[in-house]
Amino acid sequence: MSTANPPKKSPATPLCSLLEKNHFILRRLHSLSGIVPIGLFVCMHLFTNAQMIWGQDSTTGEGTFQHEVDFIHSMPALFIIEWSLWGAIAFHAGLGFWYTFTGKHNVKRYSYADNLRYMLQRITGVIALVFIFLHVATLRWRWDLFGWFTPFYGEGYQAPGVPHAFHDVPMSLPLTAYALQISWLVVLFYLVGVTASVYHWCNGLWTAAISWGLTITTASMKRWGFVCAGLFVALMSFFAASMIGALKFDLGQDMSADQIEVFELIVPESRIPLDVSNRP
Amino acid sequence: MIAPHTPEKTFLVRIQRQDGESQPAYWQEFEVPVKPAQNIISVLQYIAANPVTTSGEQVEPVVWDSGCLEEVCGACTMVVDGQVRQSCSCLANEQLAKTGKDHIELTPMTKFPVVRDLFVDRQRMFDNLKKIKGWVPIDGTHDLGPGPTETPEQQEERYAYSRCMTCGCCLEACPQFTKDNEFIGAQAIAQALYFNQHETGKKLKSERLDELSGPGGVADCGNAQNCVKVCPKEIPLTQAIAKVGRQLTVHAVKSFFSSK
Ligand code: SF4
Ligand code: SF4
Ligand code: FES
Repeated sequence: MSTANPPKKSPATPLCSLLEKNHFILRRLHSLSGIVPIGLFVCMHLFTNAQMIWGQDSTTGEGTFQHEVDFIHSMPALFIIEWSLWGAIAFHAGLGFWYTFTGKHNVKRYSYADNLRYMLQRITGVIALVFIFLHVATLRWRWDLFGWFTPFYGEGYQAPGVPHAFHDVPMSLPLTAYALQISWLVVLFYLVGVTASVYHWCNGLWTAAISWGLTITTASMKRWGFVCAGLFVALMSFFAASMIGALKFDLGQDMSADQIEVFELIVPESRIPLDVSNRP
Repeated sequence: MIAPHTPEKTFLVRIQRQDGESQPAYWQEFEVPVKPAQNIISVLQYIAANPVTTSGEQVEPVVWDSGCLEEVCGACTMVVDGQVRQSCSCLANEQLAKTGKDHIELTPMTKFPVVRDLFVDRQRMFDNLKKIKGWVPIDGTHDLGPGPTETPEQQEERYAYSRCMTCGCCLEACPQFTKDNEFIGAQAIAQALYFNQHETGKKLKSERLDELSGPGGVADCGNAQNCVKVCPKEIPLTQAIAKVGRQLTVHAVKSFFSSK
């Protein structure tokens, strides 16, 4: 018998038909855009940030973290890299939203761990998008949102009104530390945002291996699962290192004299009192 | 001597009924005596013979579908206490013991149009088998000679896929397969692989892959892996999805360089 109504076709707008015609290639590009440009960048970024744990020289303000930041800022055509990342994020998120609404999760009925993972992938995607936007808007574009963040300047010369003599003063670590020490809400925000993003990437790596046909047996899916879980742990420990580095940084004791001067110029009313009493 | 009257032990069956796909659904409850080794189909047969609800109302008998009664045809698939499965292989006593409740809840599958009550129309699955050309092309009146041979390893792998009974459990549990989208689902993907691996069936491989790379194809799978957990025939569906994924990757590269 055939009383079944065929599933309703989506209305044939030009966008829909473009998406339909290139369905397969778009899906694969969606997968690739998440893994390569965005994912690799985030790995590098987390690794760089982890350098905060080494602190800095409190007389010169030099440290590994600052060195890495300078390296990134010295990359040629940085804005091209940045804008291609935004392009990749827009593409990945746009299609991701579209795809999310083609499914209907059913974790209540079928409460398998994998099913939960499937739902989490969609939720963490949204969290990651919001997080990345707020993170970049505040620390990179220097938007003053919620009064939570200091504008971030890698070095003295980037901040307006800093006298020429202080142009080379490294400010990456103190300013990042200040941004995070302002409130535990910021720390929580970063904890949730980074965990979601890292989960999204590692789980995406795991499922991509199935979609592309790399792991084609249950055993290989499991093995690859361990690799992805290992990556998750590694990246999260980089994140933990950066958090510890930023939170244990003592704004009064660990900054160099130059840094304190620039800091007071950039943050005239510091919400964290700088205790400079027993500096060496 | 008259045997002392022991009241019959009973349990309740709550059934979600519907007179047709566009009709509203409603619930009815029936009381059924406990019998040893009684499956859901015999429970439904009892209700058909005694269509009186617990509130004493005489109703139309409940409609359901079944065939083989030994879990090989898939016709009797429905949702028992929230989990999709074959009702013929579901024993009432075991089900009650498993859930620890005094009633069993029966609802039709939600991913197919309801014909009536627990009877759904699984036509979409059969249409999907046509879409992926789920057959071996050996039409003709002349003698084609013996077919190519298969290795025991190939046979063993393909045997697993051959067990599919088009029951729809995998689709019912799949978050990506819905009534209003076009996703083809694990069943048809596994069957495409089954025929792609057949030495003669291979002749249609690239047509199958073209179909599976379109909208609703394999790429719409979200890797929730529910399908493989609910498949009563234990078909390695996620392996099939990954293998077709690999065939599609290769197919896409090949057609990029060589299709006209
Ligand atoms: S893996 Fe998940 S999304 Fe893919 S077919 Fe199976 S249940 Fe559906
Ligand atoms: S693959 Fe398994 S669950 Fe799906 S239709 Fe076939 S037998 Fe049923
Ligand atoms: S009646 Fe055939 S599977 Fe249940």
